[in-house]
Amino acid sequence: MAAIFLNNVSVDIPIYDVRMASLKTALLGRTIGGRFAESGAYMTVNALKNLDFEAHDGDRIALVGDNGAGKSTLLRVVSHVYPPTSGSVHVVGKVSPMFDTTIGINMDATGLENIQIAGTIWGMTRAQIKNSIEDIIDFTELGDYLKIPIRTYSNGMLLRLAFAIATVRDPEILLIDEIIGVGDTGFFKKAFARILKLIERSRILIVAAHQDDTLRHLCNKAAWLSHGNLMAFGEFESVISAYRNPNTPAQQPATA
Amino acid sequence: MLTKVQNNTPTMTTAGNSPVDFVALSNPGLKSRIAYTISQEIVAGFRAWPVWTLMGWDDIRQRYRRSVIGPFWITLSMSVFILVLGVIYSRIFHVELHSYLPYLTVGFIVWGFMSAAINDSCIAFIDAGRIIKQIKLPYSVYVLRVVWRNFIIFLHTIVIFIPMAIIFKIEPRLTMLYEIPGLFLVGVNLIWLTTVIAILSTRFRDIQPIVGTTIQLGMFATPIMWNVSALGDSRIVAEVNPVYHLIEITRAPLLGMAPEPRSWLVACGLAVVGSMLAIALMVRASRRIVFWL
Repeated sequence: MAAIFLNNVSVDIPIYDVRMASLKTALLGRTIGGRFAESGAYMTVNALKNLDFEAHDGDRIALVGDNGAGKSTLLRVVSHVYPPTSGSVHVVGKVSPMFDTTIGINMDATGLENIQIAGTIWGMTRAQIKNSIEDIIDFTELGDYLKIPIRTYSNGMLLRLAFAIATVRDPEILLIDEIIGVGDTGFFKKAFARILKLIERSRILIVAAHQDDTLRHLCNKAAWLSHGNLMAFGEFESVISAYRNPNTPAQQPATA
Repeated sequence: MLTKVQNNTPTMTTAGNSPVDFVALSNPGLKSRIAYTISQEIVAGFRAWPVWTLMGWDDIRQRYRRSVIGPFWITLSMSVFILVLGVIYSRIFHVELHSYLPYLTVGFIVWGFMSAAINDSCIAFIDAGRIIKQIKLPYSVYVLRVVWRNFIIFLHTIVIFIPMAIIFKIEPRLTMLYEIPGLFLVGVNLIWLTTVIAILSTRFRDIQPIVGTTIQLGMFATPIMWNVSALGDSRIVAEVNPVYHLIEITRAPLLGMAPEPRSWLVACGLAVVGSMLAIALMVRASRRIVFWL
């Protein structure tokens, strides 16, 4: 079973500029009486505001909203990267974030070494990594190239490898931030098929993206965020139409 | 309103994996916050040893990837350094080369291990920023990676001592076994210290040059290149320096002597007090580190 419960969650992201990241400023601020360090010491951005959100097995949720609406923040809260400023987060199940496929990729290492490093960072065991290598070779069609440093690869080859490694996991809760086109069109189809398989294996999917057609294909629910507020959450089409036509009231109330 | 948060004791499944049942409250009580931080940010990190050992190895592999003798470059450069320094300084200090050179070798290599780990800890989190912002791994993973990486380098350099022991006829003795608890204590002290510095220097970016300068100073202020006996009546200058005791518990055993009880005491006390400091700081900071990056 996998489930996500967010209860009245707010996230304030403090912005530290260079000045505030200085020890001297902090010390001086304190000697002046602490006022400088306390009031307006740093700005905060209210990335999420009093969010109630719930997801269960089988939910395929599309996160929609304009840039800066809080989609990525929400994904980071679910993946435990951001602690909530207030409210509670309860996640049951193993979370697999897929935000940046090139994480852990080391240009001087060989393809096989990279599979090992990235796999380990993603929390795979040695045996799981070993079992996945066949699959990655199959998918990337890189063959013997995997034995040489990846700095010799073309961009397309690099993308394929990174994508293959990122999609080899067995996620319970899969979080995807933006589905990007990968390589040439032939490969894009193949990559998309692979993502579909990955999604099938997952119990819960949350995907943030802007392409309605792609999302319609993947999701049965949608959540619309605006300036950190959850505007609507529920059945996919009704939320999307509310988001696209903000003048007509949402048919589905927030928090399903 | 949702009231589904029943389980307040989060558990970690396997090393390196995201927790299977995860609860995060914004304002947990202090007691549960301490328990949570210790289990999720510290202990879980030790358990995720496949992650930090691999990261540490990979750091070294990356550094020496295109060189033929690989990490043994460090061995070579360290040997040359010690040899030149040893010959010159034994003259300056009017001491016998056969006692000075092994003394300098062990002290300098242990010091090298400690100073490099502390130096690297300044960017332990900053370096891993991309990972931290995307995957939740316990923060201790990044600290242990730094200590582990430098321990591997230490092992590569301490081999210099073997030919030296043969040349200067340092006989194997049982007291050399003290090296094991000695190194262990140095490791424990390094882990808490690197944790503290990693957290502080992520928040305050100007800690790094301060640390650098302090380390430089420490190398001259600590009896590494000179012997405590050279201080005569002002021995206290070395004795109040905790680094001296950490070096003593690893240097004396290899030279065939038992470290003084005082040194063990200081090293143990420092480990306990320091670990508590590191935990306290982690409890305070662990919810904010990701925003500092």
